[in-house]
Amino acid sequence: MNSSSGSAAGPSSGSGDESAPRRNSKRPKYSKFTQQELPACKPILTPKWVISVFTLVGVIFVPIGIAALMASNSVVEIVDRYDTECIPANMIADKVAYIQNDTINKICTRNLTVPKDMDQPIYVYYQLDNFYQNHRRYVKSRNDAQLKDADKANKTSGCDPEKTTKDGSPIVPCGLIAWSLFNDTYNFTLGNQNLSVNKNGISWKSDRDHKFGKDVYPKNFQNGTLRGGANLDPNKSLNEQENLIVWMRTAALPTFRKLYGKIHQDLKANDTIMVTLENNYNTYSFNGKKKLVLSTSSWLGGKNDFLGIAYVTIGGLCFFLATAFTVVYLVKPRKLGDPSYLSWNRNPLGH
Amino acid sequence: MGGRGWERMQTVRLGAAGAASRRREAAELRQVSSQTVRLGRVQPQAPSHRTIYCNDRDANNIARFKGNSISTTKYNVLTFLPKGLFEQFRRVANLYFLMISILSTTPISPVSPVTNVVPLSLVLLVSLVKEAFEDWKRFQNDTAINSTPVDVLQGQRWESISWRKLQVGDIVRVKQDGFFPADLLFLASTNADGVCYIETANLDGETNLKIRKALERTWDYSLPEKAAEFKGEIQCEQPNNSLYTFTGNLIIESQTLPLSPNQILLRGCSLRNTEYVVGAVTFTGHETKVMMNSMSVPSKRSTLERKLDKLILTLFGGLFLMCLIGAIGSGIFINRKYYYLGLFGDVEDQFNPNNRFVVAILTMFTLITLYSTIIPISLYVSIEMIKFIQCTQFINKDLHMYHAESNTPALARTSNLNEELGQVEYIFSDKTGTLTRNLMEFFKCSIGGEAYGTGITEIEKGQAQRTGKKKNEVNRSDTAVHEKGFNFDDSRIMCGAWRNERDPEIFKEFFRCLALCHTVLPEGDESPEKITYQAASPDEAALVTAAKNFGFFFYRRTPTTVMVRESHVEKMGNIQDVSYEILNFLEFNSTRKRQSVVCRYPNGRLVLYCKGADTVIYERLADANQDIKRLTREHLEQFGSAGLRTLCLAYRELTNDLYEKWNEKFIQAKSSLRDREKKLDEVAELIEKSLILIGCTAIEDKLQDGVPACIETLSQAGIKIWVLTGDKMETAINIAYACNLINNDMKQFIITSETDAIREAEEKGDPVEIARIIKDSVIHDLKRCLEEAQQYLHISGQKLALIIDGKCLMYALDPNLRVNLLNLSLNCGSVVCCRVSPLQKAQVTSLVKKGARKITLSIGDGANDVSMIQAAHVGVGISGLEGMQAVMASDFAIAQFRFLTDLLLVHGRWSYTRLCKVITYFFYKNLTFTLTQFWFTFQTGFSGQRFYDDWFQSLYNVIFTALPVIIVGLFDKDVSASLSKKYPELYKEGIRNMFFKWRVLAVWAFFALYHSLIFYYFTTAASQNGHNSSGKIFGLWDVSTMAFTCVVVTVNLRLLMACNSITRWHHLSISGSILAWFVFIFIYSGVMTPYDRQENIFFVIYVLMSTFFFYLMLLLVPIVALLGDFLYLGIQRWFYPYNYQIVQEIHRHELEGTSRTELMEVGNHLTPVEARSYAISQLPREKSKHTGFAFDSPGYESFFASQQGVFAPQKPWDVARRASTRSKRTSQR
Repeated sequence: MNSSSGSAAGPSSGSGDESAPRRNSKRPKYSKFTQQELPACKPILTPKWVISVFTLVGVIFVPIGIAALMASNSVVEIVDRYDTECIPANMIADKVAYIQNDTINKICTRNLTVPKDMDQPIYVYYQLDNFYQNHRRYVKSRNDAQLKDADKANKTSGCDPEKTTKDGSPIVPCGLIAWSLFNDTYNFTLGNQNLSVNKNGISWKSDRDHKFGKDVYPKNFQNGTLRGGANLDPNKSLNEQENLIVWMRTAALPTFRKLYGKIHQDLKANDTIMVTLENNYNTYSFNGKKKLVLSTSSWLGGKNDFLGIAYVTIGGLCFFLATAFTVVYLVKPRKLGDPSYLSWNRNPLGH
Repeated sequence: MGGRGWERMQTVRLGAAGAASRRREAAELRQVSSQTVRLGRVQPQAPSHRTIYCNDRDANNIARFKGNSISTTKYNVLTFLPKGLFEQFRRVANLYFLMISILSTTPISPVSPVTNVVPLSLVLLVSLVKEAFEDWKRFQNDTAINSTPVDVLQGQRWESISWRKLQVGDIVRVKQDGFFPADLLFLASTNADGVCYIETANLDGETNLKIRKALERTWDYSLPEKAAEFKGEIQCEQPNNSLYTFTGNLIIESQTLPLSPNQILLRGCSLRNTEYVVGAVTFTGHETKVMMNSMSVPSKRSTLERKLDKLILTLFGGLFLMCLIGAIGSGIFINRKYYYLGLFGDVEDQFNPNNRFVVAILTMFTLITLYSTIIPISLYVSIEMIKFIQCTQFINKDLHMYHAESNTPALARTSNLNEELGQVEYIFSDKTGTLTRNLMEFFKCSIGGEAYGTGITEIEKGQAQRTGKKKNEVNRSDTAVHEKGFNFDDSRIMCGAWRNERDPEIFKEFFRCLALCHTVLPEGDESPEKITYQAASPDEAALVTAAKNFGFFFYRRTPTTVMVRESHVEKMGNIQDVSYEILNFLEFNSTRKRQSVVCRYPNGRLVLYCKGADTVIYERLADANQDIKRLTREHLEQFGSAGLRTLCLAYRELTNDLYEKWNEKFIQAKSSLRDREKKLDEVAELIEKSLILIGCTAIEDKLQDGVPACIETLSQAGIKIWVLTGDKMETAINIAYACNLINNDMKQFIITSETDAIREAEEKGDPVEIARIIKDSVIHDLKRCLEEAQQYLHISGQKLALIIDGKCLMYALDPNLRVNLLNLSLNCGSVVCCRVSPLQKAQVTSLVKKGARKITLSIGDGANDVSMIQAAHVGVGISGLEGMQAVMASDFAIAQFRFLTDLLLVHGRWSYTRLCKVITYFFYKNLTFTLTQFWFTFQTGFSGQRFYDDWFQSLYNVIFTALPVIIVGLFDKDVSASLSKKYPELYKEGIRNMFFKWRVLAVWAFFALYHSLIFYYFTTAASQNGHNSSGKIFGLWDVSTMAFTCVVVTVNLRLLMACNSITRWHHLSISGSILAWFVFIFIYSGVMTPYDRQENIFFVIYVLMSTFFFYLMLLLVPIVALLGDFLYLGIQRWFYPYNYQIVQEIHRHELEGTSRTELMEVGNHLTPVEARSYAISQLPREKSKHTGFAFDSPGYESFFASQQGVFAPQKPWDVARRASTRSKRTSQR
């Protein structure tokens, strides 16, 4: 690094004569840092440690897993795939034509049986399959500034190809995400009684309050030649259009659920709910599935056994490993710090 | 002389560096322009020389010579940024990231430029700050040098100005011990005869003083009043880099006086033994010879770093593969059926399903920017920082490597090679000054068949330690004397006690032989305390000093007599000055291996005293007295195996007749004109026979402290040590014995040119024939040795040693024989190369470096070691004593050979393990991170959507995982320093490169894969279906933030698991990094600024943290990920423990001692190998065959030659050795 030997010319670097007085010693000062003697703990992974860590993890994980499983089991969930059912038999050969034909009445009824008692609130989800909300072209096709600020309605950068209408006026909200808004609708009746679906409070509050403006109203929406999905009420500000807000929070995976609404009524086991739905949304083009999901929730959320199973499996595995190690330890113990394990002792020639 | 000299210089310079010629051209240009303002005296200067007007600044101004200030800085304020950045972008990684950054400004990129720009600029910033800091230090150094004061003649007074203001032509005064500020023309000195003494240690490493003599014409300009009158004109060559030539003329009052190097005082030298000198400045600043010589040390790269390049290349391969997979996927995926992607109408190329090939190509680029994190951008800068601190804080400040006597701490001159120190397999060591102190001490003797001397040599101590016997040093009695050259104690003969021994007469002969038979010159006051002896070899001085201490004080020499003050001869206190007439002196040379004097006692007795190697003396002994011969032989062997250099002493009574007859022949031989040497030898043979053996002396070639122990430790560590020395074979073998490199258990192969056949050929003097014969013999020897070596290795497992001399080496290094030589020498435990030239040292080094691809280290102290130091992977210079040349060329400088133990076994090993850990960890963490992205790509239709936010990705390497790995690189310590030295075998792990093998990397890669799968699939699988009791669903950014949190936590904890010792810095940095992530995300997702491109992350962390899901995941994912590693580590340690792990376990209950030496005593139990060697050592075995033979010294002949006023070409490596000639020899002549 110090490539130059220029300092050789300096008076300071002479080798020095013995007689020259040495007032300034070059002795390095002692410090724990420079002598690398900082106090340190030195964990050694002894068999005891291995066994006890596995046991400990097992002890912690299994109960958590069981609790999570119980939470997941306590959730009652009704899943109904309707995209294959709600299609007239004559159109089954050409589903895309059916769904794209506005003149056909898309109303369809489904009867769902409640398997167990369901306590309110009951969440209504729709689930889409093979829908790449996380596709790069899709994800970036929005403009947050426009959504938030009424003054920035003209800001449509990034919204390709749903930026403007043909005559160049900006679309609010622009972009592919908003354009492809889900537009199936569900109505529930229990017996004769209509089950009202509350569509408020289905989005994250932070989205509502900060990402979607109170004074931003849809403009020129779904005006193009091609209709993507739902229309928006031009008189409702964006932050009230919660279905849009939910939809705009793009999902991580191509299979996802979105909250549709909440039913504030308890359901009894074996109740039959009649769902009257409008099968508007085109998933037939890309062979996607559409499912309607009614679900209660637990402290851990919806029905998802993954956490519970993971916890229990890992916990169980840990117990197994702990036992296995204990057995090995008892059968063939390795003396800690046995010098005969040193390679030069095992092989006297050391090669 | 001048004209011819210039021609020569010109050709030399034309051949020399282009820079010099460019400079000259520039000078010419200036001179051409200056011609237009020609003043009275100025004449057009020939381009090949410069004219300097002494003491006349105005006249010199026209030529515009360069100033005397020097600058060794790389940059200045203006050039710093462009030049510094240019340097940085010469690194492939930086350039790669620059390209990625540019790529990420295009719409093709899935990430915003910030992702790649931020880490790149941080890395550049750190590197530039470091560069600036180093340059600043250089600048300060320059400033300090430039502002050193010097006395300059101003008017009629000396005035002190700083060096930088000095100009060509100034008259300066330099005082004793001062450094010359520029290249000076020596005018006058306070010494008589216009002589001054200079030390050139900084230039060539030679510590002996050199004489410079001013021209007689200028002698009296030493006083300012007189000097002011000096108006000379110097015409001399243009600046050049040749240290030993100078041509020019001094023109005073139209008298032209030729100048030679003898009148030149070079910058960098210092003035000694002279009150002050006056000189005229000829070359200044960068034009001085020393500066023109300052070459930039070729920077070496460590083997580990070169392997790192391969790793990076592999990563590029991996990157390409991942991108290729993604690109093919994207080409297949893209389809109009996904109508929600808006692929109808006019679609940009990247997503246009009509041309899937273009889609794939473009996605390739997209993915390259997305996966760029696989290349660890901050790796290089982190490594640099770690190494820099390791050097400046640990190596330079290690108290165990501080040598108090010479006040020298260790010095790491480059920080590139720290970890290379942990992998050294071959050490090439110089002898004198490195292994030995070049200090001979009279240690033992055998007189009349009785051994005297109670001292114990280092090697005996070492042997005693090995065999478990405690050999306590005998308490020194009052009679013990220890002065330079004499370290002897035996109450039986000290203080005249020898008179009470059985046969005092033989003692007298012994002491007289010591006092008379030598070529030493006494110097100084003629009293035993104050006298100093000038001897060609330190051995001789030691012997004379011994005689002095035994009461035979040699104090004066005249051409024909030697004066000895004998005390204790008859009775105590009786002092008697005896003058012995020296009749003949039969010189020492390497064939005779003995020297003799014929002297006449005052009473007329004629005696021949002879001393020499045991072999030659025994051949010439009279038949009588077998007992003494046998006993002395035994003693010789004893002394020899104790590492002492021995000489036999013998005498012969001569009768007058016999002598006169012989003397005639001698005079005849001496005056013969042809083959005088040979004839003298023959005549000497005639009288050097029928000798009577007196006894022998044993001289300790004082080793540096702790050398045998250090060598023992190093060889236990699997390091092979080769001694490369300019010394003679006997000396070299002697030292090898003394250092424990060779012992009598070893089978020695000697390949030497000192055979009769070769000698015969040399006497005939036909060079072609000599070459042929030597070559044949070398070929033959090599073949024979190889065959034998294979036998020995296979059958007896005996250790082998190879001793080869320079001449044979020259032929053995021939490309055809190289392989054989390498084969043989690699199979030998130790190799000694003697009589080798500096170039051969380098050749041997690179033979092993390139031929065997082993990591080599060269250690040396003198100018003759420079080439070897530069040739090896690691060059170590011994600092403190012999000048700076070796140190200037070295990578590390230590004060003592024994510090190699600390440097290699402690610092080297730690650096190696630490850097391996750092590199593998970097590899792991970036691979893990990038692979999560890769898995995500599969579920986004291969669109290249990023999983993480831009800022997460950009700060991942530089903030969230940066510091802990540096801390580990600094503080991780598998076993303590004392244990590293106690178990030198641990070092073998480094030699075998155990911690940076592809297998190790494969394990890390496997866990990276495993972790990334866990991170990605666990978080995505667990995050479906709503995760708090309000039924709301997570989006992409919630999931990715969750995953990123897990990544940061796990990756940091994984590092903690890899640590061997955990200091509070580990805790601080690791928890700090995790904390930094949370602080960052709290702020980042909590604040919404108008500058955000997207508000994806807004509030995400708060949303997450309001769920149980988050905490359950945070517990689950890191633990599941780390359990895999934990299981691996547990099994590895349990069933396949590394050596260091066993050592850790052995000493697990020990507190770390504050002092490393404390632990050295602990644990005397023998390992099986030690037990075996102990048992072997106890077996009765053949007596040692080795006896030392002292009486040679490098440069011996040339010393004598110079004494006699004959010019003998001095080999630079000989001269450098002769520390003994330091004082002024001339004053006495």
